[in-house]
Amino acid sequence: MLLDYVWLIPLFPLAGVLINAFLGRWLPRRLVAAIASLAIVASFAMAAVLFFQMLGLPAEAEGGGAGRQRIVPIFSWIVSGDFVVEANILLDPLSIVMALVVTGVSALIHIYSAGYMAGEEYHNRYFTWLNLFVFMMLILVLGDSFLTMYVGWEGVGLCSYLLIGYWFERESAANAAKKAFLVNRVGDFGLALGIMLIFATFGSVAFGQVLPAAASIPAGTATAIALLLFLGAAGKSAQIPLHVWLPDAMEGPTPVSALIHAATMVTAGVYMVARTHALFEVSLSALNWVMWIGALTAFLAATVALVQKDIKRVLAYSTISQLGYMFLALGAGAYAAAIFHLATHAFFKGLLFLGAGSVMHALSGELDIFKMGELRKKLPWTFRTFLIGVLALSGVPFFSGFFSKEAILSGAFEGGAIVPWLLGLVTAGLTAFYAFRVLFVAFYGKSRLDKKVERHVHESPWVMIVPMALLAVLAFAGGYIGLPRVLGIGSAVEEFLAPVFADSTLVHTAGEATLEWLLIGLSVVAVAAGILAAWWIYVRNWGLAGRLTQSARRLYDLAFAGYHADRAYMEAIVQPLRMLGEGLAGAVEQRSIDRAVNGVGELVGLAGEGLRRLQTGLVRNYALAMFLGVVAILAYFVLRGVLSW
Amino acid sequence: MTVSQVVFILLSIAALGGALGVVFARNLFRAALALVLSFVGVAGFYVLLEAEFLAMVQILVYVGAIAILIIFAIMLSRRMMSSETQPWNEQWVGAVVVAAALFAALVFILSRVDWPATEAQVPADSISQLGQALVSPDFYVLPFEVASVLLLVALVGAVIIAREQ
Amino acid sequence: MEISLPTFDFLVVAPEIVVLITALLVMVVDMVIGREQKGRLAWVALVGVLAAGALSYYLWDGSDPALHDMLAADGYALFLNLAILVAAALAILFSLEYTGRVGLAQGEYYTLLLLSTAGMMLMAAAINLMTIFLALEILSISLYVLVGLNRAERRSAEAALKYFVLGAFASGFLLYGMALIYGQAGTTSLAGIRAAVQAGGEPSALLLVGLGLMIAGFGFKVALVPFQMWTPDVYQGAPTSVTAFMSVGAKVAGFAALGRVALYAFGDLQGDWRWVLAVLSALTMTVGNLAALRQANLKRMLAYSSIAHAGYALAGLAAGNAQGTSGLLFYLFAYAFMNAGAFAIIIAAGRFEGATGGGETLDDFAGLAARKPGLAVAMALFMLSLAGVPPLAGFLAKLYVFGAAVRGGLIWLAVFGVVNSVISAYYYLRVVVSMYMREGRPAAVPAPVCAGLQVGVALAAVAIVLLGLWPGPIVDLARVAALALLGG
Repeated sequence: MLLDYVWLIPLFPLAGVLINAFLGRWLPRRLVAAIASLAIVASFAMAAVLFFQMLGLPAEAEGGGAGRQRIVPIFSWIVSGDFVVEANILLDPLSIVMALVVTGVSALIHIYSAGYMAGEEYHNRYFTWLNLFVFMMLILVLGDSFLTMYVGWEGVGLCSYLLIGYWFERESAANAAKKAFLVNRVGDFGLALGIMLIFATFGSVAFGQVLPAAASIPAGTATAIALLLFLGAAGKSAQIPLHVWLPDAMEGPTPVSALIHAATMVTAGVYMVARTHALFEVSLSALNWVMWIGALTAFLAATVALVQKDIKRVLAYSTISQLGYMFLALGAGAYAAAIFHLATHAFFKGLLFLGAGSVMHALSGELDIFKMGELRKKLPWTFRTFLIGVLALSGVPFFSGFFSKEAILSGAFEGGAIVPWLLGLVTAGLTAFYAFRVLFVAFYGKSRLDKKVERHVHESPWVMIVPMALLAVLAFAGGYIGLPRVLGIGSAVEEFLAPVFADSTLVHTAGEATLEWLLIGLSVVAVAAGILAAWWIYVRNWGLAGRLTQSARRLYDLAFAGYHADRAYMEAIVQPLRMLGEGLAGAVEQRSIDRAVNGVGELVGLAGEGLRRLQTGLVRNYALAMFLGVVAILAYFVLRGVLSW
Repeated sequence: MTVSQVVFILLSIAALGGALGVVFARNLFRAALALVLSFVGVAGFYVLLEAEFLAMVQILVYVGAIAILIIFAIMLSRRMMSSETQPWNEQWVGAVVVAAALFAALVFILSRVDWPATEAQVPADSISQLGQALVSPDFYVLPFEVASVLLLVALVGAVIIAREQ
Repeated sequence: MEISLPTFDFLVVAPEIVVLITALLVMVVDMVIGREQKGRLAWVALVGVLAAGALSYYLWDGSDPALHDMLAADGYALFLNLAILVAAALAILFSLEYTGRVGLAQGEYYTLLLLSTAGMMLMAAAINLMTIFLALEILSISLYVLVGLNRAERRSAEAALKYFVLGAFASGFLLYGMALIYGQAGTTSLAGIRAAVQAGGEPSALLLVGLGLMIAGFGFKVALVPFQMWTPDVYQGAPTSVTAFMSVGAKVAGFAALGRVALYAFGDLQGDWRWVLAVLSALTMTVGNLAALRQANLKRMLAYSSIAHAGYALAGLAAGNAQGTSGLLFYLFAYAFMNAGAFAIIIAAGRFEGATGGGETLDDFAGLAARKPGLAVAMALFMLSLAGVPPLAGFLAKLYVFGAAVRGGLIWLAVFGVVNSVISAYYYLRVVVSMYMREGRPAAVPAPVCAGLQVGVALAAVAIVLLGLWPGPIVDLARVAALALLGG
């Protein structure tokens, strides 16, 4: 059966990696980009074919058939006594949706990159890493055990790290990469511990064995496991308080920001929580944590996005905020809604980043929206696609973001999470405001461009425009797979994903039609208010923004600095650690090197001379340390003896 | 107090005193001489334990070979003969504390050990038994052979170190 | 008087004998061949090592024969033989060009390398305190001399002296411990000690103190905190090929004996010693990693990293169960490839023009990916594997020992291990970043890399990938080996 060839999906990117890594240096630049893009397109085609195959199968397992879920064995990875890990692919509605989103958006961004990175020096390296990233991401979403997921998890982190630091000549890029890496390690640490605890509890790490057994473990253990996993998810998906790396990650090339830091990798945490929801549901407190962290992140990140001037930073905080939405949905048990929003967000946020890249491309790398203006006329295609992205992000009716956000908010409300729902509603208004603020400031009004820059402004080549246009189509139409329930047609995506979440014990009572309409109406009002406010401040009364800023200076500064999260980390964690490190290594190192240099002269020649070294060198310190160790070990035995003999 | 106990105490004084002398002597040559004293004290213990052969070996190897070699080395390198070294250094406090702690721990433990002792007499022909055990496959011929490898290693190493470049 | 010839089954120690004979052969051949032909000695040594490896594999039929309570050729010994011989073979490949470049006397070099290898193998096979000690001294004395073999380098002599003095100190502890154990058990045979341990109702103080002192002695060899302080100085000062060899071989041998003593002879006192080992393990990985964070010199960094890895491996031993034991064995095997491989790249980097730090500093690795893509890929693999990035061998090894610790009820130790892995990734990745993301100095033109070294690096790199993806065969061997030790 065709579904058994699912391994082709990750194989194509892997082939791309191998070709470009080993032959890329000798291949023409265009060919390198073409190979990399083709690999992903082929991978996407395969995923699409499998998707339609799957649609032809019965949704539920019946009469010996496994339904739409199947495990495709690849090989036995670890077989050690009762510790068995199979490296298998888990093909089910959730993984195929993820694979489709990942390969689809990746394919478009690969093609876009061919134009965007055309002038870059380390061209083949870029595409090799990008392909490697897609491969790892596919391992992450297709693996059928925690361990294979962890392999992909670490892999995408590594690629992200390398790609953020791609412009390594820039100090800031190197620092951003380092920061992303360190913060993510905190998350990875949680994930690794969580997996370890899962193994200790269940004796297995395969989804197929752990998740069905989840209900049978003590709630305390489940809480610990779920919170550790969520720590991993929060790190990867930039949730408070591990969000600090994402804004800085914008130092990477813009297609990387679009692909990794908006559309795919950062959603890995959402995918993981959705995949392992059975574990989370055993512990309602863990689920509550997910919901509240998500809601707070959504709200706070949106307020920060309100005041940023750097277009990519606005989008970065927006991504954090939108990811918060997804976690809010997960916490409320609206898993399908979270995955739905994950997909639409991948489309419109990917599109917005590509648009921002196109703007930067045209303006010689300018990022400050207040130094743009009137781009509407100069970059017509970029403007049109960006507009669609903004409409979708804001949740304007009939655009994709509207439907998925609606699904989340109604899910939260029906799940009884009123305060998070309210936060989500306010965030919807804020989102509309900052999205349109960018649009109005950058694309409308008078040109505030640097004269030198202005002369060179040019629309991007078709190889960049076409992917943007395609994404724009998706950003508009992608929402129609998940129409609100109240319309009576039914949400296609929800039905498709239903088998995966069928075991959910959380009850969602569908509200009455009037209530549903009321909820939709409320969020439309919030969005409209946000858009109107943006229009009022940035189009109608240009200059009002400055006065408003003055009158609320401190609040503005606070938000602009992202509530000083970076400084808090610096002072609370980084500095003490640095001091500890210096204390442990620095002091010893300094002295021993100096001593070694001074002492060496006396050494050569007679061994007898060396004896003097015993008196003057550091050997005695080393020996004392050893002595101390011996005493400590013996003291332990003595104390044990005193207590037990 | 029996005679053997008196002898034991005297020998202990010699062995420990010699060892202290090695550590505290400012002059390396004197330290080496103190080492000889300590070795002789240990040889005395063997006699006391009726292991005359081991006592002989102790004297021959440790005093006759090792200590003498050390003394030769010291005398041949002029600077070491004359130089006075300072046995105390800045970490002596720490060293004393740690050594005292180790001593206390050992005393504590060893004092409550029920030492296994055998009533058996020392066989008359202990030397021939020792010799046979050393080459008997049921006893120590294997370590004996391995020890020969060790000696080979030491020999090769010594030659390499001593050889002029 | 009747003289009975010793009846030995020499086959039991055939691998050790082959290595010893090869060592003698190298010495003899060294005397008869001309100066310009000395390079061939390496091939003699390599053939001997490979033959010993083949013999070890061939001998492994599950019969676990022993020689008179002195040496055993059980699965445990043979598995560790393989790890030791891997280190030796890689070290020889890495030395081909390096010995000439640095000006090491090749005859002595390979002789000592082989003698040291023989000592390590004997230590893995030793089932008697006497043979353990003799083997330890054989390997140590050869290493002391090897470390100081580079006469042109002052640090080399200093390192040798430091290693020697502290090593003698550690041997003193070890011997004292053995004496106390003998005093209680009345035998030096591990089987006899096991019987004595089982006989007593409650643990005898003498046995425990003896064990504590022995842990200190072995702790020195495998570089456990606080017996590790010599490591950076010695690893940095020693010729790099020697560092590659000893950082693996001495550790394997030390763990081999520690494992036998703790798990077999003192298996019944596990409740008494496991906390000591667990605390030492946590301390060792933490100190090693924190100190490595700040190193700019790669040899020093890898020295601290090897300390940390001793801590990880010890976690398997502290777990005290079968999984931990086989995990320890697998760890040592995987570690042999990745650590030796990393040092090999340093050897290669020392040849680059403009390598101001002798190929030892991060700067020397800047832009390596552009100049020597193959070496850079290999080094990246070694670093990632050491950092424990899946799916490489190092990841699996850590998973194995930490999983065993969790099962053994030492969850806190596993947490320590994970935190440390998280920290360690920082300094390993710094090397990767330096190779891939920084510009090399324009003057830094790569010199051709010796073919033998390339082969060795390629083998090691392929091995860590294969061990990560298809660990099955080696894991099975490790399990059989662990069972040979634990019985059952």
